[in-house]
Amino acid sequence: MIFPFTAIVGQEEMKTGLILNVIDPSIGGLLIMGEKGTAKSTAVRALAELLPELEAVEGCRFQCDPGGKLCGECQEKNRMGGPLPVAHRKMRVVELPLGVTEDRLVGTLDMEHALQKGEKRFEPGLLADANRNFLYVDEVNLLEDHIVDLLLDSAAMGVNTVEREGVSFTHPARFILAGTMNPEEGDLRPQLLDRFGLCAQVVSVREKESRMEILRRKAAFDADAGRMAAAWKKEQTELARRIKEAQTALPSIQPGDDALEKIVKITAALSLDGHRADIVMMKTARALVAFRGKTAVEAGEIRDAAALALGHRMKRLPFEEMGAQAEKLRGLLEGI
Amino acid sequence: MSFSGFVGRDDAKLALVLNAIDRRCGGVLFLGEKGCGKSTLARRFRRLLPRGIPFVELPLNATEEGLMGGIDLEKTIREGRRCFQPGILSRAHDGFVYIDDIHLLPVEILALTLNVQGRGENLVEKEGLTLRHAAEFQLLASMDPAENFLPPHLLDCFGMAVVWGKITEAAQRAAIVRQAMPDLFPESPEAGRRDRVLAERIGVARSRLAGMKISAGVEDCMAGKCLESRMAGHRGDVFLFYAARAHAALMGKDRVEPADVDAVTPLVLNHRRRQLPPENEPEQSEKREPRPPPENNPKDQKSAAADRQSHPGGDNQGDEKTLPEKRESLPMEAVFESGEPFPLRRFHYRRDRIKRGSSGRKIKSLSRDKRGRYIRSAERGLDGDIAIDATVRAAAPLQRLRGGDGRLVIRPGDIRYKRREKKVSHLAIFVVDGSGSMGAQRRMVATKGAIQSLLLDSYQKRDKVAMIVFRKDRAELVLPPTSSAELASRCLRQMPVGGRTPLSAGLLAAHDLVRRMGRREPGLRFLVALITDGRANHCLGGATPEKEVSKIAGLMRELPSTEFLVVDTENKAGLIRMGLAGRLAAQLAADYCRMEELESDRLLAFVQSRW
Repeated sequence: MIFPFTAIVGQEEMKTGLILNVIDPSIGGLLIMGEKGTAKSTAVRALAELLPELEAVEGCRFQCDPGGKLCGECQEKNRMGGPLPVAHRKMRVVELPLGVTEDRLVGTLDMEHALQKGEKRFEPGLLADANRNFLYVDEVNLLEDHIVDLLLDSAAMGVNTVEREGVSFTHPARFILAGTMNPEEGDLRPQLLDRFGLCAQVVSVREKESRMEILRRKAAFDADAGRMAAAWKKEQTELARRIKEAQTALPSIQPGDDALEKIVKITAALSLDGHRADIVMMKTARALVAFRGKTAVEAGEIRDAAALALGHRMKRLPFEEMGAQAEKLRGLLEGI
Repeated sequence: MSFSGFVGRDDAKLALVLNAIDRRCGGVLFLGEKGCGKSTLARRFRRLLPRGIPFVELPLNATEEGLMGGIDLEKTIREGRRCFQPGILSRAHDGFVYIDDIHLLPVEILALTLNVQGRGENLVEKEGLTLRHAAEFQLLASMDPAENFLPPHLLDCFGMAVVWGKITEAAQRAAIVRQAMPDLFPESPEAGRRDRVLAERIGVARSRLAGMKISAGVEDCMAGKCLESRMAGHRGDVFLFYAARAHAALMGKDRVEPADVDAVTPLVLNHRRRQLPPENEPEQSEKREPRPPPENNPKDQKSAAADRQSHPGGDNQGDEKTLPEKRESLPMEAVFESGEPFPLRRFHYRRDRIKRGSSGRKIKSLSRDKRGRYIRSAERGLDGDIAIDATVRAAAPLQRLRGGDGRLVIRPGDIRYKRREKKVSHLAIFVVDGSGSMGAQRRMVATKGAIQSLLLDSYQKRDKVAMIVFRKDRAELVLPPTSSAELASRCLRQMPVGGRTPLSAGLLAAHDLVRRMGRREPGLRFLVALITDGRANHCLGGATPEKEVSKIAGLMRELPSTEFLVVDTENKAGLIRMGLAGRLAAQLAADYCRMEELESDRLLAFVQSRW
């Protein structure tokens, strides 16, 4: 049993960041940074219950999108004849544990099949499971470097290419990377940091009444998880419905030149590397509009998008500069 | 031997009993010096547990596979399919894991253990295996506080912590000796009976938990205490609640009252309190301390001159002769304008020096022994270090041809070896003179700047930085080894300065830190940067400060994989120059530079050129 997502007290930035990634997976994931015991992992795991269904090729081990890039097996089937059968599957949160080995991440030779049939076949790894799903790494800053390299490779390409032990195989691997970390336990490699579309900072609640409420809900959940789930059923269903609606509305939302100008004005004034920040901000603002049931991007969405998309991209600056930049950002945001 | 018969330590016993009542209490950490009975008590605690409750000891030499589980070689080969061999944690579900001397456990193993404990399940994805099993356990551990640099986030994982203070009372000490020698002083059968009564009481208390009510004011009281402790996160609130509830149950009550919260607060919150930034101790107050003996007073230049004469090797001439080469070899000479107040700069040249892939790979060295992490398999490798999964996979497609009738036939050509990788990691230890002498503030600013830049720019997350400040009568590890810029910035926000100069204490602290970290993370390389004028006016033992310094310097020189840098803070423009730091550098075979040449940038460049 997982703690209900909607029962998490406060931490709006984190919750919104996750929801926006469901609405538009191309935002590129969320990094949740904060001290221990602030419901970071709980939130990601709890998200699973709210995830919508996807259309996928029936029986495909990689949940191929019938309208998108196909894996080798689906391509083969497609060639052989007719349209691919379509099934609905719920989007999932696939977990990447610390200490994972390369073969389990990217996939390898299917040993049992080889023994029985004497043929080489590819056995999918976690990247296959994660295609079109969330890939969740708890304590992402503690992940081994060689695993991070592999993750970065496939995140950049959107495909996983395996050449090992006599098997060669390629399959789509587009995943939404969700990571949690406690910055006190060490920092994240900048390349990986930049991979995360958004970043939410969580801190413990310092307000007494909310603090008591957190404890009450936690104790209630510990005492009877089933009853807790029943009590929050309505909120959960309602949020899942809102996410679904936002997803449907998203394609029709045109951000407009005005919003674009505002965004570019902000990013140009800050010293950020590359253009990823601009693009992510635009997508985030748009998803926010969809989630809020609006039709046009307004200043409020741009502000909220900036909070999620820019914080971690300014992080690699020396401290003094960082403060100055944050100050600058505040000024810029007030100006829009 | 009985739990009840254990002399004293009522708070430790209470903590254990509460954990026996409710596993949500989150385990206990014992902090106490060696030989005070921490593990004895933990082991006797088993007697209170109902039959079938696991109590597993985690040995310090546990490997990752031994801990979490791994591939079962024999069975895999016999059956021709991957078979899993469960690890220590698989036996711990619903029970206790005990770690003696947790500070000696390799950090990776500790991180994995705490990760599993935090999730309540063990998830393994390795060598072709996926395994998931419930692993809800309570952690009991002991630690010597002298070796304490468990970072706060690891400390927080324990529901409770108990400090085992020194027992000086004679009668109690005698009782302890008696109980430690059961052959000579047999325990009365009464104690065993008391254990049985206690175990029963725990059982009764456990059955009360579910129906326990909460008195008015309890929640408010708890939230208040947690807020006041300024702890990180909300886990403390939860632990406090369950501890108070277990306490009420133990007392035979049917509702939790504020008194229960009070009774358990020290156990739950003491180790979570975040230290408030130390109040800035005004230098004036330091000056009011009794003045050090005049011959050692840095401000007393006359006697300092006399001192110099008695140490001919330490005079300034000597320095100039022996050290210029080293000084010239310092990188980044005169790149930045002098006179700037220790700016933080980013270093770009470093990228050219270290070979990294486009993705920013860190320096790796292929391991030549069986240590290090198995990253992939290869056809050639160390004898005996066979990668079972890869070997079986290599042989698998050929089994039908070889006709092994159900048994796996492996030929020499199938054998695959483990390719392992060890990280080259470094620890830079800054040892800074924080005494009241001139320029303490400046030294602090420069060192802080260097530390922050190192961490911010550190693309190699395993590299760590620590800082030791010596002042007044001791040396303090103000920044335990960390790779976190955030933690460093919090620890270093305010640096008190002032007081005497216990240089030898600073050196000894660095020496001990290197030894301890070296034991804990074999393969770690060290760089010790001493920022001092080499003068000492406070010593640890009875000898003169100078003698003590050279003695410890001699010890330090023996340390393996350690390099030294001495940054001389003596004012070379002043009338009297003693060159003591130069002498210290010679004793340590250290690199040497002067404060005038030092800015954050330079200190940073120096450390980086060694990394």
